[in-house]
Amino acid sequence: MAKPIAEMSIESVTLELPDVKTVRLRWPEGYDPGEFKTGQFITVSWPHKPKYRRAYSLSSCALDRGFFEVTVKRDGKMGTSVVDWAEAGDTMIVIPPTGRFLPVFDPPGKHLICVAGGSGVTPFRGFVREATARGLDTRITILYTVRTTRDIIFADEFRELEAKNPKFKFLVTCTRLAPEDPWAGRRGRITPEWVRSFVDHPADTVFYACGTNDMVEAVEHLVIHDLGLPKEQMKTEKWG
Amino acid sequence: MSSQVPNDLRYAKSHEWVRVNGDVATVGITDHAQHELTDVVFVELPNVGRKVRAGEACAVVESVKTASDIYSPVSGEIVGVNKAVADNPALVNSSPFGEGWFLQVRLANAAEVEGLLTPEAYRAQIGV
Repeated sequence: MAKPIAEMSIESVTLELPDVKTVRLRWPEGYDPGEFKTGQFITVSWPHKPKYRRAYSLSSCALDRGFFEVTVKRDGKMGTSVVDWAEAGDTMIVIPPTGRFLPVFDPPGKHLICVAGGSGVTPFRGFVREATARGLDTRITILYTVRTTRDIIFADEFRELEAKNPKFKFLVTCTRLAPEDPWAGRRGRITPEWVRSFVDHPADTVFYACGTNDMVEAVEHLVIHDLGLPKEQMKTEKWG
Repeated sequence: MSSQVPNDLRYAKSHEWVRVNGDVATVGITDHAQHELTDVVFVELPNVGRKVRAGEACAVVESVKTASDIYSPVSGEIVGVNKAVADNPALVNSSPFGEGWFLQVRLANAAEVEGLLTPEAYRAQIGV
């Protein structure tokens, strides 16, 4: 059965960074999105400007009922319109979740290595929220590249989830920090060696990459060519 | 489905194509690029008369997935833009090498075209 397209009211808009906001879209009365999964995306548009349309990964998870959340960066006409205009009480048109960028929680015991750049981290928030809420033994390691410490989306929330969930690690590398910046974490781009250092049991590891095409292709190359793993162990979302 | 790579064009690593006719190069984005972008919803084109250098961002394409700059593969003056594609961005998806072209550049240095990727080299880049 086709999933219903619905008008949804914006319940809240949360400023994550100066150019990134999380929009919570409240399901209307009686709305049933059907079965959907963490990691999928919804497509949103403005009722008064139907050409303003964009697919965004859910940053909420499938256990969150009654609303969808997407976290939007101010880019292009659509991203700019959402970040600049969206307010609680506004209405958006929502095409229900779809997509295959899904966390492998079953069978249990997998290690999900999630490589993200910039706003590519948003679907992984959903992965970790679900794994933590369900108390799963799935290991999740997020390797996140940003320009500076001011560009880390969900920094506080990921730290809180790390404290709650011993199977989750959140590691950030900054590419454009001033040398005198006090950041004690890693600096520089994501390298194959860094990713590889987190792989204990290749057969039980599933790789995810979400970010620019260059970053995603580099991770794909590492997994498929360097580690020699089957494509089924590599899941990607490319943009830009 | 494998992407089309016509043999009569030259290509940029950033997925633009170039068709040269006399001293004017027509520029668009490849079939591979439009597949990656998915449904294109906006195209923003530069003003005619603008001078561009090879590798300079000169247009923007926005799909339901992302917004991306389009880079001029060659240097010169923009002498034409495709208003039809701005009015109907879906042409980029339906006809990337035809009605979905973006702009025309009067070449400042025709030798730059020879430095672009051949169809064989571009096929190797995108793995088809």
